[in-house]
Amino acid sequence: MESAASPVEHRAEPKSWIDYIQKDLPEHLDWWPYTLGAIPLTLFGLLVATGLLLTFYYVPSPDKAYESIEQITNEVYLGWFVRGVHKFSVDLMILFLFFHVIRVFVTRAYRTPGELKWVTGSVVLLVTLGMGFTGYSLVYDNVSYWGMTVVTNMLGTLPIVGQPLLYLLRGGEEVSGGTLLRLYDLHTKLLPVLLGILVAGHVVVVRLLGFADVRGSRRFHPFYPEHTMMMGAVAVGLLVLITDLVMIFPPTLGPPADPQEVASDVSPPWYFSAPYMWITLLPGPVALWSLLGAVGLFVVYPFLDRALSERGWPMTAVNAGVGTAVVLLVVVLMMLDTRM
Amino acid sequence: MAIIHDDFGRRRFLSQAVMGFGLLFGMGTLGLRFLQFLIPSPTPKRYEAVLIGAESRVPVGDAVPMDLGGQKIMVLRTNDGVVAFSRRCTDLGCLVSWSKEREQFVCPCHQGVFDKTGRNIAGPPPRPLDRFEVVKRGGQLYVNIQSS
Ligand code: FES
Repeated sequence: MESAASPVEHRAEPKSWIDYIQKDLPEHLDWWPYTLGAIPLTLFGLLVATGLLLTFYYVPSPDKAYESIEQITNEVYLGWFVRGVHKFSVDLMILFLFFHVIRVFVTRAYRTPGELKWVTGSVVLLVTLGMGFTGYSLVYDNVSYWGMTVVTNMLGTLPIVGQPLLYLLRGGEEVSGGTLLRLYDLHTKLLPVLLGILVAGHVVVVRLLGFADVRGSRRFHPFYPEHTMMMGAVAVGLLVLITDLVMIFPPTLGPPADPQEVASDVSPPWYFSAPYMWITLLPGPVALWSLLGAVGLFVVYPFLDRALSERGWPMTAVNAGVGTAVVLLVVVLMMLDTRM
Repeated sequence: MAIIHDDFGRRRFLSQAVMGFGLLFGMGTLGLRFLQFLIPSPTPKRYEAVLIGAESRVPVGDAVPMDLGGQKIMVLRTNDGVVAFSRRCTDLGCLVSWSKEREQFVCPCHQGVFDKTGRNIAGPPPRPLDRFEVVKRGGQLYVNIQSS
């Protein structure tokens, strides 16, 4: 180690916002898992681009929605590719957000002063899941239709806010064309704007609060060009991966929504598979409240950690245990879902 | 830190507080109205008897799904007579269908099961299926449903 002085002293204080963004990174960030945050960011960009393209053909009405997706998939030039990229980008974005959360959770990188980083990040994850739900509802196939019914009904059972929320989302008593239009608005306007702001906020907060201290990581890993290059390499790698995935697994379409009959398999996309099994196995209120409780705990976890470690809990071990248990539970639930 | 002790400071504080509250109140009311704009009010319901046809339309031991103006029902005929259930699963609102072999209503969404009297016997559903009254008038069956 060359110098024991704090790294900040080596550099002039950043002056404008661009200096904040470009501020050099601690040395440990030259390890690949520390690009886990940049990956969802890249994918978000890809989703915005392909999403915009899709809006040129998609029609948010009950009798046209499914048809227009069929047209995108089978008739429009490169439509299948654009839709495929959009689909895989969501899957990967959520997957890498999960990895990112796991890494931060296990290393407890949210410790003071990083609480805000965690809170903004956790809301990013929740909104992204909301985007996932509203997105697959737009396809208006059988899974979408009954997914909309079940999810809105579930929210409707909440005390006080439940019923207004149900009417707000459905635009009426039943799932209808109004519901589709509302989810479309959420998916293409409100949530993306919110997500954009949150993502930008998260990045800015991370840069302002700085990265968590890692023991032994004292020197610098320059943001530009080194880290920028790594992120660029990751982005290119992702593009190649997604292109391959779309080529190998071109997007398909389930049977169209039928309000008179539920398909035999109404399993949601993989990222909702665990909560789906959870509500299947447990009685309604228990399932709903445990899910909501878990989400709440998840968002405020840094404060819980602080309170517990002040009482002398070995939080590193606790986190490792909790993390492993949750991941195992999720995997088991997902496996059960594929069985049923 | 300046402590407000003179009359001028107090007056300024009060006027700012009043303006602040006024602004918040105005925005809050507007926000509430906008929310009301977005949340449609429930349509009033009325009861009506809908003709579903002769009893022979439903074979014994079987159930026939029907859509009566948006109300999805299942008319089941057993040896004890004809009953009409709502197809809406009492768990989270998917549609149940009748399994003839098992003599049960099953919901594919989370594997909810109801017996032929509509009682919830397995899975997450918290209560029995809703039932509608069936009346027989001159050889024809009518179901009393709530419709909007
Ligand atoms: S909706 Fe029927 S079991 Fe959940």
